[in-house]
Amino acid sequence: MAQKSIVSEFAKGLVRENPVFVQVLGMCPTLAVTTSVANGMGMGLATSFVLIFSTLIASLVKRIVPGEVRIPVYAVVIATFVTIADLFMKAYLPPLSQALGPYVPLIVVNCIIMGRVEAYATRNAPGLSLIDALGMGAGFTLSLMILGAVRGALGSGSLFGLSFTPVLVMILPPGAFLTLGILMAVFNAVKDRNSPVMVKA
Amino acid sequence: MKRMIIVLTAVMVVSGFVLASAYTLFLPQIQANRKAALDASLNAIFSGAESPSFEKLDTDQMTIYRASGGGGTTLGYAVNVTASGYGGDIQLLVGLSADLQSITGMQVVEQIETPGLGGRIQEAWFKKQFEGLDPRAQISYVKNTEPDKEKNQIQAISGATISSNAVVTGLNNQLEPAIQIIKQLDK
Repeated sequence: MAQKSIVSEFAKGLVRENPVFVQVLGMCPTLAVTTSVANGMGMGLATSFVLIFSTLIASLVKRIVPGEVRIPVYAVVIATFVTIADLFMKAYLPPLSQALGPYVPLIVVNCIIMGRVEAYATRNAPGLSLIDALGMGAGFTLSLMILGAVRGALGSGSLFGLSFTPVLVMILPPGAFLTLGILMAVFNAVKDRNSPVMVKA
Repeated sequence: MKRMIIVLTAVMVVSGFVLASAYTLFLPQIQANRKAALDASLNAIFSGAESPSFEKLDTDQMTIYRASGGGGTTLGYAVNVTASGYGGDIQLLVGLSADLQSITGMQVVEQIETPGLGGRIQEAWFKKQFEGLDPRAQISYVKNTEPDKEKNQIQAISGATISSNAVVTGLNNQLEPAIQIIKQLDK
């Protein structure tokens, strides 16, 4: 088995295996809540919290849990952390909790989390799983913030102090698809251009 | 098989315990937030009065508060109206004058409308439009023209007709029954 370096395990979540732009996972919150940078960041951090603790626990208990019931066990673990995140936000970040609305409880069904638990945490040591979750969480949060920044700026009509007629559609659901499609194309074009360098490294 | 049952049971017990603890830990703060939001809305509606006190009317059908001034005089009422908006339920608080003849204020307590569009029902100009309207008559909204207060009209938010309509419909459907309840209980 090839030695996995901590840095590359973390960094793969940012670019090479970016959950939003490359794996195209977790599209529901990606499209729904990225109307502003703050909302994108809130959703990204809440998801990261759930992701980090769920993968850590899944990795720790992977030898104890029989294969037949691993999915229900992970589902319960994920749901527990989501509910904690939801309660915490309702108690200490009420405006953000209001803005994200039903999308916080819906982190339960976010496929990034079950994906990382199944694809990574059950096959790797707790330490590496934690690094993986941190990278994926950071990649998800940053992607949502970029989407939120583009949509928020165009939709509200102010960018770096310049004001122009707001493009309303960017705040509406179609704007999420437009922005995501364009950003995904740009992201992958840049990634592919740089990929030979990454292979060498 | 036996191991499966033990593992599943253990996971459920642990997560149940963790959730119960988290709930107990956060509940006081969540309730305090709700109460603070409600108090802020009540005080905003009766901002003209000096230190008004609020008392919930004894009815199961609707949530209605009576605002009283210093000498125990009734300043007016605040009715909790639930409207179904674009993103889900909108919780509104509508102030009524003591004689129940006019709306004295409207506040948005909870909403999950689209930010920048339906979310603009929280903006002051929109809420202020309802002041002075007649709660007993149908309220309607207009677009692109100046609303006529005499005709119980308000200006809809451009691009957010669904949310504007939701607020108006909620008021039209629920203010009349609220007035009946207040009359029964308080007159």
